[in-house]
Amino acid sequence: MTGSPAAQHQLDLVPDALLAGRAADGDTAAFEALARRHGPLMRATARRLTGSLADADDVVQETLVQAWKQLDSLRDPAAVKGWLLRIVGSRSIDYLRKRRNHADLDDAENHVDQHTRPRPEDPEGNALSSSRVEALKAALAALPEEQRRCWVLKEFNDQSYEEIALTLNISPDSVRGRLARARITLARRMEEWR
Amino acid sequence: MNYPRDTLECGHSLAELSAYLDTGQIADPAHLDSCPECQAGLASLRKLSALGSELLSSDVADAGSGSDDWMQSILDNLRLELRPGRSIPLQSVHPDDTLWETEGSISALIRSVVDAHPGTAAGKCRLHGDVTTPGTLITVEVEIAVVYGHSMEERADQLREELARTLATHTELAIEAINITVTDVLEEQP
Amino acid sequence: MTEPLEAAEPSASTPPTGVAEELLDVVQSVPGVSAVYPAQPLWQSIAGAALSAVTGEPLPLIGLTDTAGTLAVKARIGVSTPRPAPAVAREVADAIRRHLLPRAAAVEVSVVKVGS
Repeated sequence: MTGSPAAQHQLDLVPDALLAGRAADGDTAAFEALARRHGPLMRATARRLTGSLADADDVVQETLVQAWKQLDSLRDPAAVKGWLLRIVGSRSIDYLRKRRNHADLDDAENHVDQHTRPRPEDPEGNALSSSRVEALKAALAALPEEQRRCWVLKEFNDQSYEEIALTLNISPDSVRGRLARARITLARRMEEWR
Repeated sequence: MNYPRDTLECGHSLAELSAYLDTGQIADPAHLDSCPECQAGLASLRKLSALGSELLSSDVADAGSGSDDWMQSILDNLRLELRPGRSIPLQSVHPDDTLWETEGSISALIRSVVDAHPGTAAGKCRLHGDVTTPGTLITVEVEIAVVYGHSMEERADQLREELARTLATHTELAIEAINITVTDVLEEQP
Repeated sequence: MTEPLEAAEPSASTPPTGVAEELLDVVQSVPGVSAVYPAQPLWQSIAGAALSAVTGEPLPLIGLTDTAGTLAVKARIGVSTPRPAPAVAREVADAIRRHLLPRAAAVEVSVVKVGS
């Protein structure tokens, strides 16, 4: 909505802090540039956290709605990326709770990794033929929910124990413990796999 | 919650090493350098973390680009409302007419002037002073980013003139000063 | 995004049928007016927007309220012109007033966007 195509293009060069400042002033073009810049990471995080392609896109959309409303409360505009990801984290957790309450049937079409995750009836039994990353996906999927959340929030979003604790509504000590258990299990699986 | 093999023979646990990786803190840091078991444990955790980064890159690649249709359709759904800000009164000819400009429309105008200037982009922009009372002296604060290599002072002077001219045309504000702060220097795109 | 809506059909709920539509034409034909936005921002008329979604009737672009014989008219406009935005706003108000004569009117015009 603002300026010429050249100016739009220029926004891609502009650092987060500047875009966040403009967006807080009500500049929709700057907000959209931020959304485009961080959208893929937000989507990837939401997919790993919710395990559902459709839920992940809902989470991204709700995150952006909330971000637009609350941007002027963001004290350090340079920290906008971490702030967006924290919203993605809590929204994803909300979705998981909602889904559990509704005891939704898992919609296989929608499932993250449904094509790559090794199936029990697979004669080979595991992801021997796929890459190490595929093996990690499978190991991650087999983790207890709470451990997986801690791991994703830490490794994907680089959140501190305190931030993860706030998102998951548990103590920082529990975060440390769950994260350690997740890593130990994953490291062991990856070594077995190799 | 002790799992078999969680505790190394040196007495440290993998959980301690995991926390050390995140916080850099552990009871006896000197021990780490000399203990082969702890070194092996750390190496294994670091390898996992590197693989985690690979998974992240692969997931982000799978998520598609932010300029793809999926993001556009999310943005289309948002219907972001323009933020009107304060209402700035305009003089009217007829006593029963009430005319306004929104503060939001003026900041957008300021941004478009800055953005249209080659090599500059606008950041935050504020109108200081009571814009709702006609005649109040108003100070405009604009943050800008400048592409590296352009003379900043010259640029700021030109911009100030241009902004003064534009604001005199499109508003009835009594502008006392236009302060331009360069907050970022941008690298030219390769 | 707040995009200008398509020219609205006359809304059946508007008391003086057709007047809002006429006024929309009047406003749009003032040189320099680049867009007309819904008279009430969406967030102020959630109920209206919901109703409009159900009935398929677009929200009125020109707001009209009849109080004790005086017609209160509200318009939110975008201005794109080298000519001064305040002058365009005054011309819009004047054009509305003249169109409604001999009826008395209180006209409120907000410029919500200036420039391209």
